[in-house]
Amino acid sequence: MTDLAIRTRRPAAPAAPTTAPDAVAERLLDTQSPQRPQVTPAFTIEVDGRQVTGHAGQTILEVCRDNGIEVPTLCFEPKLPGFGACRMCVVDVEGEEHPPISCSRSAEAGMVVQTQTPRLRQIRKTNLELIFSDHNAYCLPPCQNKCPSHIDIPGFLKANTEGNWHESARIFKRTIPFPSVLGRVCPAPCEEHCRRDEVEEAIAIRDSHRYAGDQVLKAQANGAPAPVPFELQRKSGKRVAVVGSGPAGMSAAYYLLIAGHDVTVFERDPAAGGMLRYGIPQYRLPKVEILEGEYEAVWQLGGKLVTNAALGRDFTLDDLQNQGFDAVCVAIGCYDTNKLGVPGEDADGVLDGLEYLKVATLGLPYPGHAGKRVVVIGGGFTSMDCSRTSVRQGAAEVTLVYRRDMKDMPAANEVHEMLEEGARAIFQAAPTRVLADDHDRVTGVEFQRMRLGAPDASGRRRPEPMPGTEFVIECDRVLLAIGQGPELDWVGRGAEGVTATKNKRLAADAVTFATGRRGVFGTGDVRIGASTVVQAVAEGRRAAYGIDAYLKGLDLDAIKTRQTLAEPQPEFLSIVPYADEVKEPRYRLTSMPADVRNKSYVEYEIPYTQRDAMAEAKRCLQCTCEAIGYCDLRRQGIEYGTTLKTLEPQNRGAYSFRSVTENRFTGANHDYIRDDSHAFILREPSRCIDCGRCANVCKEIVGAACYDFMRTGFDTLVTTPLDMSLNTTPCVSCGRCAETCPTGALMPKPRVLEKYDVDETRCILCGICVDACPYDALRCGPDFELTHDSRAEPMVDLMATSAIDRDSEVTFIRRERDWLVRAHESGRSLNAGVMLPVLPASIANGHGNGNGHGRGGHGQDGHGHDRHDHGGGAGGGRAHAR
Amino acid sequence: MHAGSAGTLADGRRRSDTALELLQAQRPSAWPRVLLDRAGRYDADGAFADAEAAGAWSVWREVMSTSPRAIIRIVSESRLRGRGGAGFPTGDKWRTCHNQTADQKYVVANGYEADPGALLDRTLMELDPHAVVEGVALAAYAVGATKAYVVVKSTYRTAVRRLENAIRGAEQAGYIGIDALGEGFDLQIELVELQGAAVLGEETTLLYALMGKKPLPEQRPPYPAVQGLWERPTVVNNVETLAAVPWIIANGSAAFAKIGAAESPGTTLVQLSGAVAHPGVVEVPLGTPLREIVEGVGGGVARGNLKALLVGGAPGGFLPADGLDIPLTFDALEAAGAGMGSGTILVVDDSACIVDVATLMTRFMNDEACGKTIPCRIGLKRLTEIGERFTSGLTRPTDLTVLRDLCADVRDSALCGHEYAATNPLLSGMRYFPQEFEDHIARGTCPAGVCRRLSVAAALA
Ligand SMILES: Cc1cc2nc3c(=O)[nH]c(=O)nc-3n(C[C@H](O)[C@H](O)[C@H](O)COP(=O)(O)OP(=O)(O)OC[C@H]3O[C@@H](n4cnc5c(N)ncnc54)[C@H](O)[C@@H]3O)c2cc1C
Ligand SMILES: Cc1cc2nc3c(=O)[nH]c(=O)nc-3n(C[C@H](O)[C@H](O)[C@H](O)COP(=O)(O)O)c2cc1C
Ligand code: SF4
Ligand code: SF4
Ligand code: SF4
Ligand code: SF4
Ligand code: FES
Repeated sequence: MTDLAIRTRRPAAPAAPTTAPDAVAERLLDTQSPQRPQVTPAFTIEVDGRQVTGHAGQTILEVCRDNGIEVPTLCFEPKLPGFGACRMCVVDVEGEEHPPISCSRSAEAGMVVQTQTPRLRQIRKTNLELIFSDHNAYCLPPCQNKCPSHIDIPGFLKANTEGNWHESARIFKRTIPFPSVLGRVCPAPCEEHCRRDEVEEAIAIRDSHRYAGDQVLKAQANGAPAPVPFELQRKSGKRVAVVGSGPAGMSAAYYLLIAGHDVTVFERDPAAGGMLRYGIPQYRLPKVEILEGEYEAVWQLGGKLVTNAALGRDFTLDDLQNQGFDAVCVAIGCYDTNKLGVPGEDADGVLDGLEYLKVATLGLPYPGHAGKRVVVIGGGFTSMDCSRTSVRQGAAEVTLVYRRDMKDMPAANEVHEMLEEGARAIFQAAPTRVLADDHDRVTGVEFQRMRLGAPDASGRRRPEPMPGTEFVIECDRVLLAIGQGPELDWVGRGAEGVTATKNKRLAADAVTFATGRRGVFGTGDVRIGASTVVQAVAEGRRAAYGIDAYLKGLDLDAIKTRQTLAEPQPEFLSIVPYADEVKEPRYRLTSMPADVRNKSYVEYEIPYTQRDAMAEAKRCLQCTCEAIGYCDLRRQGIEYGTTLKTLEPQNRGAYSFRSVTENRFTGANHDYIRDDSHAFILREPSRCIDCGRCANVCKEIVGAACYDFMRTGFDTLVTTPLDMSLNTTPCVSCGRCAETCPTGALMPKPRVLEKYDVDETRCILCGICVDACPYDALRCGPDFELTHDSRAEPMVDLMATSAIDRDSEVTFIRRERDWLVRAHESGRSLNAGVMLPVLPASIANGHGNGNGHGRGGHGQDGHGHDRHDHGGGAGGGRAHAR
Repeated sequence: MHAGSAGTLADGRRRSDTALELLQAQRPSAWPRVLLDRAGRYDADGAFADAEAAGAWSVWREVMSTSPRAIIRIVSESRLRGRGGAGFPTGDKWRTCHNQTADQKYVVANGYEADPGALLDRTLMELDPHAVVEGVALAAYAVGATKAYVVVKSTYRTAVRRLENAIRGAEQAGYIGIDALGEGFDLQIELVELQGAAVLGEETTLLYALMGKKPLPEQRPPYPAVQGLWERPTVVNNVETLAAVPWIIANGSAAFAKIGAAESPGTTLVQLSGAVAHPGVVEVPLGTPLREIVEGVGGGVARGNLKALLVGGAPGGFLPADGLDIPLTFDALEAAGAGMGSGTILVVDDSACIVDVATLMTRFMNDEACGKTIPCRIGLKRLTEIGERFTSGLTRPTDLTVLRDLCADVRDSALCGHEYAATNPLLSGMRYFPQEFEDHIARGTCPAGVCRRLSVAAALA
């Protein structure tokens, strides 16, 4: 565009000098201004049915953009002419067989243009898919998306590879306060979609944070403070009551404490922990070392605990709010065990699984359990723990019966461990009645086989009874573990406003966690029904954000969008599968032999060694991109639907969609090495789409020409000569390439603050550093030698600087003109040679003594003291210097 | 004249220069000669006067007293179309350039001959370099260019030597240079040797290389005739196109227009290669049915049966055996899914597998691409991969659909002719030999028995 203007506007031949000052300036404007004429002939073209105005010399793209019509581009750099590499900007022009690219085609009067036909969208989609088929990068880690609390998994694994356990713990404590607990009990949904699966096997994400968490706990035991993920906020003076000390309540308490609020936790039981303490057995989660160790972090932040205080029994919501608590967070979990709903279930010997576990987790043998034949009904965590605990308590025979298939069990990975320990399992069978003797003591349970029908709302196939397949298992005890719901009998008594949902959960908003009563929030199992610890932790964390917003007086409805956006968005692009990675199998945890562990309550999994933990973390493919959020490629990929359907379709867990089959063009792809040699610019060529913008900007605008298209064919890459590190090119660190790059291939490098020392005995005061520093952090002092300036106050206020009206060619000459006029009128002597650095002598002659000297002392006195600034007063060099 | 002496062939070429046999004997004598009219009638390494005696530069003096417009009119009336592959009317191109106002214009003779298998331009430049140089001078005069470049592939040593010789001769004779023939016309002709990937033959790429920049194709329009070298109007013509112009001026546009087909008159060089009895280069009037060329001149297939013709080089299209009746014209070939391209006709007998050959061509085109655009850099790679999957029996169920869709999308978003035409071999192969593709994909067999891995894969399945 610009060159076009230059080309067609030849410089006029120098005219004879004239004396009228205005004419001089106007002529200068005319001959020296490199700008396009301000008004070019206008015409009308039709774009998408709209009549829009364009100007001669504009491309179709420019006309569209001027008129607010969006045409996607990837290779177009507004400062340069269209390049034509990405073919995303194709548009239809009536009468042309092949769609031209709008960035390079001039608009002509009367053109009829379409920007969004299905055919164009198809071409663009194909281009994007082609790019992604060779885009060896991944915007958003699927693991992080799948983790209910969205831990920065690649982030902490990276810290793990360096053995930096403290940093690792700090990273996951941003989203989960209890890494060691979760490192033991979490069913690790994150691992289901780990991309390492495409190489050989998912990363042991859970075992990895277990190790890192444990290291931090060990350090804590030796007196080190627990890592805190965020800066502690100033005390707000607000008080929050958290009811329930399970993972949901405690995680809410943790983040509320960090946010500066005063938190008191009320607990019904004699000790804090909820299901973690009274549900999950000791052999899976050591109570003192791990549970109490991690809860300690909450108390360290100033959390207070009141035990043996039950909501509804000992106090009401009214009481709490009357006592001056500004907000109440109800996180009381689910303790109401579901009933079987079959005849005979009240018989003697039919026990509530949770009751049974509560006794057992205290380390007490449950009365009369040894030697009994036990049937456990259910397929969740509770049934597993009941079975395995029964084995440990000496039951003669333990049989677990579940109505669905094994793979539908939330704790499926524990099944084989249970079997090893000596229990039996029967799948696809449901109880029809409980058999009892004359004394109403259990003698057995009758079951009926189930067939798996169509998938239900949860994505699992619905079990359907098969009449005539009844069978009986004889037993002395039945443990019920078929799920539980929240106890909500406190609702209504001193808790006006709080309501329950249709399926008997506490009604609270999914984003703000507000209940129907002002200042009361509900989170965890009590809100969503019995689920998992990690889900509860995530609930607690998000509820803390909601409560914090409420305490700050924000409008809860208004923040909903922001809160939603704060969690990673599950849009996955069908980017290349990993194929070339060196195979390195997962480091597995080993267990104590089954015949040792089935008698013991000692934790049975043997943790990683430090070496294993670091090696396992190294397997992570680091599926994450710093550019997410401002990447044009990703934005267009989403817009043009080149996404995977999603990793989590409507019905949870039933299918997994993989990049391999989603992209039509999957084939060979490149794997380039990251170049982080440069101090300011990070290069990740695997994310480069060869749009050429960096090469063109660096060559045409900056003049350094650090990059170009190298090699031919499929192996073409925009890179440095011989792929040398950017640091060794003539790069001037201007950052223009990173600015123009539409993807994450070139990025401003995250800076680590370093301390620079100047050895004044060696400094020769050359001043080169002063010239070179792009931020004016160094400069010449009044004595023309290096002096120490305060860095505390910003020396350059970027906002103020940007507000200054900069000289353009036109304003400069206008000002000069005015100055000439003024000087002339006041009769001052005009030494054009000194005063007018740019006016040619021939012109200046008309006004002054005419010493015929056209150029002034530009640069002679150094460091920004440009003479021509004096007249305008826009702040010359001297105005800066102190 | 050295004709007949030791080490020299009857047509005047030295044995060491011989790239391919000139198919003189088999050529029907009724076919008129335009391009190789003078070939062998003078020693291309010899004195300038010999060439002049044979007719070179004979029209030049007269041209100088004719207006450039009149020259352009003659070229237009001859209906000469560019021999670089696309067949663009040369008169129109010159007129466009002529009508531009600029301080400088250029003429570029494209003798790069991108297709590594083609030797037609080389044959021409070796046998009658003066015709090329004279054509360049004529073009320059017609459009008002004072500077011209003749671009030749570096490996064409003989052509380089002889063209250099021809340029020097014309300079010394005062035909070109400052104030040529005292008529006030300045023209400097420079010979430029280039070597690189096939895409260098594409005109905008070639111009970038000439300017000493990274050679990547540029979006047209603006066409070089409007905005070319250093953004000045530039005529880019194939050497064969240019070589025809002196003949047209000498013999009149009507004489030229009478030769061959009405829509594309004149003659062109054609190279027969592959499974043909007499491979070689021959000058053919356009419009001649392929049968007369392949069977008449080339003597038909060497052994076995004719299966297909690949017309136009690597980015050309397949024609089935019954395509022999198609006349050799730009439009007829285009309509049949092939193209004039580099002017080669590869004869394919039934021992070859179409899928295999098409894949090979696509792979070649991908390797030779500049990699600027996404459909070219990645799209051609994916097409190659699909072809490779066909020939190795590892087909994906969606491959055929993907292949068709991708070809269509690549053609619609193509930047230059390279990526557009690169889809030809596979598309035309599917068009004329659907059964053969079907056999590879659905049955896992290669009828020609070429794709060996297919049988292995089938055995494993
Ligand atoms: C046996 C068992 C094993 C499990 N194993 C696993 C596992 O391996 N992995 C996994 O991810 N999940 C597991 N779960 C599920 C997981 O424990 C729960 O989803 C999670 O603990 C819910 O957290 P919460 O904070 O919402 O509720 P809870 O942990 O239940 O905490 C609620 C707290 O509130 C207290 N409370 C209840 N009522 C009142 C009241 N009225 N007043 C005051 N306080 C009250 C309770 O005493 C308790 O301390 C298991 C569950 C059970 C039952
Ligand atoms: C990939 C590609 C390669 C080409 N190679 C050549 C070539 O080797 N020689 C040539 O004369 N034209 C070649 N062309 C055509 C030129 O771009 C240009 O159209 C031609 O030189 C113009 O001359 P004409 O009008 O005389 O045909 C090629 C085009 C493409 C797209
Ligand atoms: S460069 Fe863009 S598309 Fe590629 S991984 Fe990064 S965010 Fe995703
Ligand atoms: S490889 Fe690493 S970042 Fe990628 S999904 Fe697996 S754990 Fe997450
Ligand atoms: S930062 Fe370096 S490489 Fe990037 S545009 Fe500037 S000079 Fe070029
Ligand atoms: S690195 Fe350069 S060529 Fe690659 S995507 Fe970024 S700007 Fe484009
Ligand atoms: S081709 Fe126009 S923006 Fe890339």
